[in-house]
Amino acid sequence: MSLASSPLENLLLRPDVWRGDRLASLGTEAVASGFNALDAELPGGGWPRGGLIELLAERQGIGEISLLLPALRKLEDSAPIALVAPPALAHAPAWAAAFPLSRLLVVEAEGDDIAWSTELLLASGALGALLAWLPAKTGNKSLRRLQLAAEGRLSLAFMFRPPGSARQASPAPLRLQLAGARQGLRVDVFKRRGPPSNRSLLLPVERPLSWQRRATAGQSVTLPSTRTLELVR
Amino acid sequence: MTPLWLALHFPRFALEVFEPSGDPDGSPAACVQQHVVVCANEAAEAAGIYAGMRLSSALGLVPDLSSHEREPARETDARFRLACWAGGFSPHVSLAGFDGPDTLLIEIGGCLRLFDGLENLCARIREGAIAQGYSPCLGLAPTPLAAEWLARGGEEGAAGHAGLRNHLGSLPVGVLGLKQRERDTLAALGIAHLGGLFALPSSGLARRFGTRLPLQLAQALGEVPDPRLPFVFPEHFEQKLELPAKVSVSAMLLFAARRLLASLSGWLATRASGISECTLVMLHEDLPPSHLLLSFAGATRELARMERVLRERLANWNLPEAVTDLRLEARDAVVIAGSTAGLFAQAGAHELEPVIERLRARLGKEAVHGLALNADHRPEMATRPLTQDQAPGKGRGQGKTDSLGPTRPLWLLPRPRRLRQHAGKLWHQGAELQRLTSAERIESGWWNHVAGDVDADDAINEEEKQGSIADEFADVRRDYYVAVNDAGEWLWVFNDGRQWWLHGVFA
Repeated sequence: MSLASSPLENLLLRPDVWRGDRLASLGTEAVASGFNALDAELPGGGWPRGGLIELLAERQGIGEISLLLPALRKLEDSAPIALVAPPALAHAPAWAAAFPLSRLLVVEAEGDDIAWSTELLLASGALGALLAWLPAKTGNKSLRRLQLAAEGRLSLAFMFRPPGSARQASPAPLRLQLAGARQGLRVDVFKRRGPPSNRSLLLPVERPLSWQRRATAGQSVTLPSTRTLELVR
Repeated sequence: MTPLWLALHFPRFALEVFEPSGDPDGSPAACVQQHVVVCANEAAEAAGIYAGMRLSSALGLVPDLSSHEREPARETDARFRLACWAGGFSPHVSLAGFDGPDTLLIEIGGCLRLFDGLENLCARIREGAIAQGYSPCLGLAPTPLAAEWLARGGEEGAAGHAGLRNHLGSLPVGVLGLKQRERDTLAALGIAHLGGLFALPSSGLARRFGTRLPLQLAQALGEVPDPRLPFVFPEHFEQKLELPAKVSVSAMLLFAARRLLASLSGWLATRASGISECTLVMLHEDLPPSHLLLSFAGATRELARMERVLRERLANWNLPEAVTDLRLEARDAVVIAGSTAGLFAQAGAHELEPVIERLRARLGKEAVHGLALNADHRPEMATRPLTQDQAPGKGRGQGKTDSLGPTRPLWLLPRPRRLRQHAGKLWHQGAELQRLTSAERIESGWWNHVAGDVDADDAINEEEKQGSIADEFADVRRDYYVAVNDAGEWLWVFNDGRQWWLHGVFA
């Protein structure tokens, strides 16, 4: 610690103090999201650890988890990844392609148990990442508890919430709105530590086939009477 | 390593085997033997009841005094449990007190480093005893006898030889447990403290009080060896605890069971082992015993973890009838590899195990699981939940599926959902679907089709009427496609030759 710096400067260097004119660094190292455009928008240059990250996905199947996979791959080896109250059955072959299945922990819960399980898992500090699907009625009080449980931990805490929650205030320091689009996944960072972001990002998240082919596939499915394949231009 | 003995003296032991004391709002209670009070709890002592008082006088002072007739067998069991529990701190435990097994002796000189120093260790031992409902007095000295005397005198004591004589010198002669006649003699000599005895020549003492007293003084000072019979830990753990009264509220069983678990935890530590499950058997008066299985995510001997699981299990347990006895059975103890303390505190996967236990205790064992691959082409059969352990390398067909990964959806619907067809096009949630890939044929599963074809066909027809798909155990023949709609939803759909179905979501 340098003695030359003034007490005020020392104070401003503290990770929990941020100034409105710049993106805050959260003190804990962030995990690069794998998308440069998104990293530039996120405080600390990646998904911040030790705080809730709210993801408000408009629908399922737009690539909301594929958005996270590059970061999950980058986590320390063997750091467990938990799915709390997933909206459907996890399909092992697809997850196995992302990371070893031994790292995955699935917790099936309902109602109030979802927030309870999430809090317990976050507070353990043993997870690399946690993906939780919170029900619509999750109140601010529960979210604050979750935020407290996540603070100071090294886990990435992704909270999926219904899109309607955008209007509701939340203690999560980082909130993103996700929507499907023809050329990629549309991401709006509508709350972050630092100046508000007004850019809407279009990210080429991983899909079963390239976005290029998606863009050129112009016509809709015509139901084949025979089971021959339509050529896709 | 110099030996260091810790003596635990329980002044209210005879009473505390019935009920915990130290509770400030506890009702007055006393333990009596042949109509004479042996010991009383805080509330009763505050009312003027003391050991040696006649029960009738005590009842005169406190009419609602609850009295327990002393039960030596219960005390023996409790001492045995305490000795097992003490095994968690040191393998050298002795119940051979100088005038009866009233005091628990633990040799802690060799395990100070393990427990981060003397203060931490003493605090842990004291807290452990209090948590079990006992009120201990600790005594600490290089010789077992000095430790016992210090504990009885209510003094912590000294760790070294240096000040031992001075330290013991200030103790009252009452700690010696002498006979009434000998006490009278000492009083006549004007000796009230041990210091006075140390000043006397031992030959004179031997003439007046026999050879036992000078020998004890020499043993306490470490001048003469004082071997103690070590406590022999049992080979198998199965302990029974008779409840002082019938208990019908499961939460109230927790306290009694804690004494058993503490004992189990210490016993496991002496064997460097852990258990992944144990059974709490609750005996009833009329009904057959209830068995409550406590299972842990991994082998453990940590008391806090066991207690948490027990608390969660008891909270969801409906007692059929009041419980009279508890029995804790633990089999299949497995050796746990010791862990080396890290230079920096690191949270690892082992931190997760207690959490998994708590989740399982509340949500059910099946609700918390890992995933493994199953070598089957049918998507609904390709995933296998793992509830036991999550050891890597358990999944089969790992290499084959790696190449499939990106072409498989992360989510699978629990049952395929029928897609609407309208104007020759596929619709999902009001949006038109575009098919992006060529057909991928998946077929297999004829081996699940053994129940009899006629029945199975009936079942399929029945299912179809309800707008659902033929059961997953049927022989499947499907063409899968990746489809997308204008809202940007990527879906996995298939055609089984008759119908279009939605099966997966590329999340």
